[in-house]
Amino acid sequence: MNPVSRGVRNAFRNSVRTGSIVLILGLSIGLSLTMLVAQKAVDTKIKNVKSSIGNTIDIAPAGFNPGSQANNALTTTALGGISSLAHIKSVSETLTDRQSTTGSSSPSFGRFGGGDSSSSTTTSLSSPVTLNASGPGRFFAGGGGSDGTTTFSLPVSFLGTNDPSDVSGTSITLATGSTISGATDTNNALISSAMASKNNLSVGSTFSAYNATLTVAGIFGDSNQGTQNTVVLSLPALQRLSGQTGVVTSAVATVDSLDNLSSATTAIKNKLGSTADVTSAQEQADNTVKPLNSVRTVATFSLIGAVVAGAVIILLVMIMVVRERKREIGVVKAIGGSNLRIMSEFMVESLTLAVLGAVVGLFIGVVGGQPVTKMLVDNSTTTAAQTAQMPGQGGRMFSFQGSNSADRPARMGGFGQRFRTNGTVKSISNIKAQIGWGILLDGFGAAVVIAMLGSALSAGMISRVRPSTVMRAD
Amino acid sequence: MLEVKNLTKKFQSGDSTVTAVNGISFSVPDGQFASIVGRSGSGKSTLLSLLGALDKPTDGSIVVGDQDVTAMGDHQLIAYRGKSIGFVFQNYNLVPSLTALENVMLPMEFAKVPKAERIERATKLLEEVGLENDQIQRNPGRLSGGQQQRVAIARALANRPKLILADEPTGNLDTATGKMIFDLLHSLSRKENTTIVVVTHDLEIAGKTDKTFKLNDGKLVKK
Repeated sequence: MNPVSRGVRNAFRNSVRTGSIVLILGLSIGLSLTMLVAQKAVDTKIKNVKSSIGNTIDIAPAGFNPGSQANNALTTTALGGISSLAHIKSVSETLTDRQSTTGSSSPSFGRFGGGDSSSSTTTSLSSPVTLNASGPGRFFAGGGGSDGTTTFSLPVSFLGTNDPSDVSGTSITLATGSTISGATDTNNALISSAMASKNNLSVGSTFSAYNATLTVAGIFGDSNQGTQNTVVLSLPALQRLSGQTGVVTSAVATVDSLDNLSSATTAIKNKLGSTADVTSAQEQADNTVKPLNSVRTVATFSLIGAVVAGAVIILLVMIMVVRERKREIGVVKAIGGSNLRIMSEFMVESLTLAVLGAVVGLFIGVVGGQPVTKMLVDNSTTTAAQTAQMPGQGGRMFSFQGSNSADRPARMGGFGQRFRTNGTVKSISNIKAQIGWGILLDGFGAAVVIAMLGSALSAGMISRVRPSTVMRAD
Repeated sequence: MLEVKNLTKKFQSGDSTVTAVNGISFSVPDGQFASIVGRSGSGKSTLLSLLGALDKPTDGSIVVGDQDVTAMGDHQLIAYRGKSIGFVFQNYNLVPSLTALENVMLPMEFAKVPKAERIERATKLLEEVGLENDQIQRNPGRLSGGQQQRVAIARALANRPKLILADEPTGNLDTATGKMIFDLLHSLSRKENTTIVVVTHDLEIAGKTDKTFKLNDGKLVKK
């Protein structure tokens, strides 16, 4: 019988002890694998988030509070110098506003510069978005009638932009008609197909808003409720119609290369000073993956801890076994067994226990990988979400809940990057742990490492056992 | 021929030095059966350890055939113990996880004897020591003390050693079984022409051997 078969057989000398050791090792290796799965899932997610970073910089008024009537405004003049900064390819400026619908109480929203022209005019349009008291896709709103909802009809968003191909971060595709120029001050507008359907409008039809008559120039397909409820005008047209000449709600600067994102962000910050919040996509991504990084750290330390625990378990078991079989080792040495041969038997025994533990551990890892990863990420991102909540809204602000666009930032009405946080948190929570051959091999590799580490000290003890000592003990 | 010259073994015990074996010299011709007697603590087991190359002497030499055991290195000693020495212990000291047959095959495996030859010789030896066919596949725990000692004797003879060293081989057995084991050891050594040195308290057994050495406080007092 060779040392391998003898080592394997020795592992089963005491079935109760072997079962207990395998179970404990299984838990240890299972925890290691679970943490490895979590770590890899988080790594993949971080990589995906970082790879999806655009070369854009968001610019919003500093300290904007949607409930306040005294927000600072950005102006076209102030932003004018930005496009001339190094590495800035283009600057997309937007102004957002709302018009209550005929017969509905006007909403109260934060405005720039203290004006509130929208409260005095209405639009002839009806919103295509229906209010739903519960379930996915509902809107919450305040500032309507005294009872909050019974007389309230959803206001229509108006977006003035110098880049009409983009509505609140979503690229639009025209279904019919033609686009408008973002720089030309005309009363031409783009509306969504849902808005057109709701109000029986087609290309060339007219509707009223801001006490003016606007003409439908084009109708775009819509993919979410935010774009469905938006009327797109050129930036100067909305500035004129809403009485906010020169005012800009937010801007997005596009940089020529990701490599220049950081320097361009700094240049814009320097240019605008304290009047604006300037956030690059890089910073947003870094903030987004912060909770994931903490999960990764937890997973890494747990992984190391579990592997070390496994090694210590095997180490203690093998020390106990060597002490228990000290006389047997002495006898085998007395009849011609070499240290190397005896050590290899013990290493095989240790390896057998570790591999059996790995099999149990793999089962635990496969079963527990996804739920544990999800739990870790959920706990971490819940904390992040709580700290990122908008303070003191009291129903004065729209927000999406349960949108089916879980992987897209929940951005509303172009108010800027502040509103993206919850959607992004939902996005990073949507994490999938996968167990592939690589992880299985890692599991067995961990078992081998655990076995080798665990049997190292016992090997040293074996080499020190003297056959004569055993004989004297007789 | 086993030839021991001026053999000394000293141990450090705290601040003092204990001389367990003190300048012993004797010889045992090939094929002879010798016994070592003495009181507990007289140095019998230490002498046996030195003869079996389990321990190194402080001084003196042991020559077995033409090999000076005291001049060997560690690796040579392992091979020497495996091929030239057979041990029989008072507590049998069989490997509990192996069957009787595997226990006898073990020293041959260490000596790199081919497997078929190992099985054949081990089976033959176990038959010679009187184990039944169904007993040779049993683990030691399922054998009586006498049967275990028979397996230990078969194991000691496995590699046809020049020298068999037995430490109180009948110490844990009843008188009848002890006598049977002693006779077995004696007859097999004659048959295999092996030198046997046995440590015993039993003067009756010692009286039946070819030579008897008496130890007292590490010194040889009678040859």
